[in-house]
Amino acid sequence: MTPEEMEAAILALQGLTSTNMEIFYYWCTAIMILIHAGFLMYEMGASRVKHSLASGTKNILAFAFMIPTFFMFGWLIYLSFYQGFTYDPGWGEFGLPMSSIMGPNMSDQATGVFWGAFTLFACTTASIMSGAVIERIRMAAFVVLAVILGSVVWNLAASWGWHPAGWLVTNFGYHDAVASGVVHTISGFFALGVLINLGPRIGKFNADGSANTIRGHSLPMTITGLMLIVVGFFGFIGACVLYNYGVNGSWVNIYGGPTTLSAYCFNTLMAVAGGIIGCYACTRDPFWMMSGALCGVISAAAGLDLWYPPLAFAIAFAGGYLGPWAAKQIEKMGIDDAVGAVAVHGVCGVWGLLAVGIFLGGYPGFSSWDGYDVPSINMTGQLIGAAVMIATGFIPGYALSWIFNKMGILRAGDGVQRDGMDHELEGIAYPEELRSN
Amino acid sequence: MFNSSPITSWEGAGAIFTYADSPAGMAVCFWVMAAMLLVPLAVSIKAENQAELDHQ
Repeated sequence: MTPEEMEAAILALQGLTSTNMEIFYYWCTAIMILIHAGFLMYEMGASRVKHSLASGTKNILAFAFMIPTFFMFGWLIYLSFYQGFTYDPGWGEFGLPMSSIMGPNMSDQATGVFWGAFTLFACTTASIMSGAVIERIRMAAFVVLAVILGSVVWNLAASWGWHPAGWLVTNFGYHDAVASGVVHTISGFFALGVLINLGPRIGKFNADGSANTIRGHSLPMTITGLMLIVVGFFGFIGACVLYNYGVNGSWVNIYGGPTTLSAYCFNTLMAVAGGIIGCYACTRDPFWMMSGALCGVISAAAGLDLWYPPLAFAIAFAGGYLGPWAAKQIEKMGIDDAVGAVAVHGVCGVWGLLAVGIFLGGYPGFSSWDGYDVPSINMTGQLIGAAVMIATGFIPGYALSWIFNKMGILRAGDGVQRDGMDHELEGIAYPEELRSN
Repeated sequence: MFNSSPITSWEGAGAIFTYADSPAGMAVCFWVMAAMLLVPLAVSIKAENQAELDHQ
């Protein structure tokens, strides 16, 4: 082979590698849309008939609003605020909506697919809040809250703790490989802040403070939706791994640390199983059994790249117990979380971060960026990270919903709730106008 | 009609999207999109307020 032929072969191989990378993230993004389809079914099924279309519409609108707003400012925030609230113009220019790479560009095969994957992460984050507030939140307020959560808050947290140069990573060794904290804790506690101002559904609590169970109109739809979310998680988790960034074209985690897709496959499946079984053992409730899959994955997510699979199962099993228990405690506090989102995502997310501190301490830190000496994984770093995630989620959720409540645009009135949120829309869920009790 | 192409040849082409060479053209598209996000919210608030009156 002549030098010219060798050079041509190398260029062809590089081009093929870039194309393979595009294919991988393109389909991860497509699979992630199943998370949204799952949340749609989950929330509609968990709603009573008279509210079901409004719940579905809310979910779809969150998805639709997230995409342009993530283009406008979400991607920019993730890329450029990794050192706190200080903007880095050097990286920011790659996320500016009028940058030459934020659109069809023959010399850039990466930005579009990475932007797409992160946009779907944002959609997932907003969907988590969506289920908690069904049957009484007004549409416009919800959409704005979803945009703030999905296109501002979570990506700020991700820039801090899910980025090779994020300050939580480089200063404290924070490890959160598949976003127990930066997606789930953030959105769970954002939802908690909103729920405090939103108040419960009519009829949820009695005068003595005891709670009533409000059943959705289709548990099979809810359970199937949850199963779809599990399928979608495989796209989500795949997109958390960087293709061909490691030595000899190997995979690396979001920080640039060595890993394999096989590691994620082992532990994701174990976590799904552990969570389902844990929740079933704890509640014997089909709704919670499938929510247990989420409890399990979220509990194991922060260390999915490193667990011994039976340990991932055990951590997920514990998450399966923790989720329903936490939901009960939240209900006893007079907070109506219709689908247990605060418990499943917020509380299990924190458990996932702490589990990394307990079981993965001492693993060497890693940053793919030059000039950073990342500390080893340690409990202090995980505790600081968990506190930052809780505060970063809760404070904006509470503050913004407090303002909306004062403006009178947060909560639907008793009349609309009584007659059904679907009355705000041009449509009915079922032709026969079936009504639940 | 709007001369939106940033290229005259595919040879060595980089950014090929409409108005890639025109900050003003991109800015117009960007702000039109922003307005298109705000209008539905206003419509939604109006409909919700009406529903509140209708179901008191």
